[in-house]
Amino acid sequence: MHSHSVASDDSRATVEQYVKWIQVLRKRGHTVDGIVLTEHRQFDSQKDYSSLASQFDVLILKGSELDTRYGHFLVYGVTEALTKAIDFSDVRMDSRELMKAARQHDAIALPAHPGRFGIGLTDYIAQGETFEDVSIVERFNGGSRPGENERADELCISHGLLGIGGSDAHLTSHIATCMTDFNAVIKKESDLVDALLSNEFQPVWLADTLNGSSA
Amino acid sequence: MPYYDEIELGDEIGPIEKVATDDEVSNFCHVWGAPTPNRFTNADVAAKSGMKETIVPGIMTMAMMAQLLTDWGGPGSIKDLDLVFRQPVPHNRALTMAATITDLREEDGENLVECDILMTGTEGERYVGGKAIVTLPSR
Amino acid sequence: MAMELEYDRSLYGVEHKAGPFEITDEIIDRANSSTGESGLAFTSDGGAQELGYKGRIAPPTLPCILVRQVSLPDVKVKFGKTQMHAGQRVEPKAPVYSGDQLTASSHLKDVYAKTGRSGTMVFVVWETTFTNQDGTVVAEVQESFAKRE
Repeated sequence: MHSHSVASDDSRATVEQYVKWIQVLRKRGHTVDGIVLTEHRQFDSQKDYSSLASQFDVLILKGSELDTRYGHFLVYGVTEALTKAIDFSDVRMDSRELMKAARQHDAIALPAHPGRFGIGLTDYIAQGETFEDVSIVERFNGGSRPGENERADELCISHGLLGIGGSDAHLTSHIATCMTDFNAVIKKESDLVDALLSNEFQPVWLADTLNGSSA
Repeated sequence: MPYYDEIELGDEIGPIEKVATDDEVSNFCHVWGAPTPNRFTNADVAAKSGMKETIVPGIMTMAMMAQLLTDWGGPGSIKDLDLVFRQPVPHNRALTMAATITDLREEDGENLVECDILMTGTEGERYVGGKAIVTLPSR
Repeated sequence: MAMELEYDRSLYGVEHKAGPFEITDEIIDRANSSTGESGLAFTSDGGAQELGYKGRIAPPTLPCILVRQVSLPDVKVKFGKTQMHAGQRVEPKAPVYSGDQLTASSHLKDVYAKTGRSGTMVFVVWETTFTNQDGTVVAEVQESFAKRE
C-alpha cells in the first residue's frame, strides 16, 4: 500500500525490480498479490505497468504520497481531476482540504506513518489539532524507527481507527515488509478505494503470510 | 571473487563490521579538506548543528561501504554506488555493512549485479542505504 | 499556499570548472588508512599490476573526496539555517592512478522541497564530472544537500 520507485527522489528501486523481488518472496513461501506505487508529491497518469503486471502476475496500482502541513498522506484512486484540484507539489497543503477533495473525486487520502517522530499525525494531535475525517491510518510502516509503529498502534486503539500496512519501500528488497490484507478482490484503483471504504482489511507483516498463513 | 553465473537473486554480500574512530575521522577530514573546526571532529560545533555528538562524514561512510563491494567483487568492480545518508553516524561504535542482490542482467556485454546496500547500527539503526551496481566476470 | 522556492536560478546551465587535482600516493594512503582499506590494488604498484592495472589505483570513492575541494557557488536558497549532506552517488568510469591529474566540471542539477522527520527541507543537487590528463572521464559524482530550519 506504500512504495516508491525511482520516480520518487529518494528511491533506488525500479518497478520491474520490485516485481522480480516478489518472485523471490513467493519462492520463499510468502503471499504477495500486488503493490501500490505511492510516489512522492506526484502522480503520473500516463505510466502503464499492465504488461509488467501480467508478465509477473503481480497487481500494480498507482497512488501518491503527498506532503502536507500535518504530515504525509497516502492517496488512493487518484484521478486527473484530483491532480487539477490539488497541487501535488505543495508541501504545505492543508491535509483536511486534501481529504475532502479526495472524497469529492472518488479517491481517499489517509495519514501515512502517523507515529513517525517529528512528522506523524500523533504529534499534531498532541498539539491540539483534530482530524474528524480520519478513520483509517497506516498502522504498520516498514520504514519506521523503533517506537514509531507502537505510537501508531496506540493512536488506532485510543481513537478507534482502522489500520493498513505499507512497506514504504525505497529499496528493492524492502518491498512487502508490511502489507494490507483485504477481504475484497481488487483489480483496479477504484476497487482499492471501495475496499478501504468497506472497512474490511487488516495490516499484516510479511512473516504473517508465510506458507499461506494469512491473506 | 565470485562469478556472475554463480550468483542468485537474494544472495547476501557480507556482512562486515567496521568502527570509525575519532582519529580515523580526523584523518579523513584532513584528506577531504574539511574546514576546521567542524561537526565531524568538534563536539561544540556538532552540538550547534543540532547533533548529539560528533558524526562520521557521509563520504567516509560511502568509502567504507564501497570496501564491502570491492573486497567481494574486485577493486574495479563498482559501476555505480548511490547512497542516501539517513541518520547521523556516530564515531567509535560498531557499524555493520551488508548488501542483498536484487537484480542480475547483462548490458552492453557486461554482467551487472545490482544490490541494495545498507549500513546499520547496533540497535538496527539504518544509517545509510542505497543501491550499488557491480560487474563480475563469467566463469 | 504553495511553498515558493527562492534561489539563484541563473546557475542552471552553467558549468563550473576546477582543478587540476593531483592524485598522490600520500592522498591515497591517507584515504586508505582513514577507512581501513587494505586492498592490494589500492596499496601498492605491485599489487595493482598483479591484478592487471598499470600501477596503483585510488579507491573508487576518491573522486567523492575531491569534489568537496571544488568551490561551488552559493545557490542562495532563501530557506533554512543548517545544511546536511543528504546523499551521494559515484559512477566510476575508469581507474584513477596515482600521479593522475584530474579536472572537475560541475553544474546545478535540481532544487526542490520536501518534508520529513526534520521538518521541511530544501534539497540542492550538484553533478560533477572528473576527467584525467588524457581527457578520459574517470567518474561522475552527484551530491545532494538538505537545508533545514
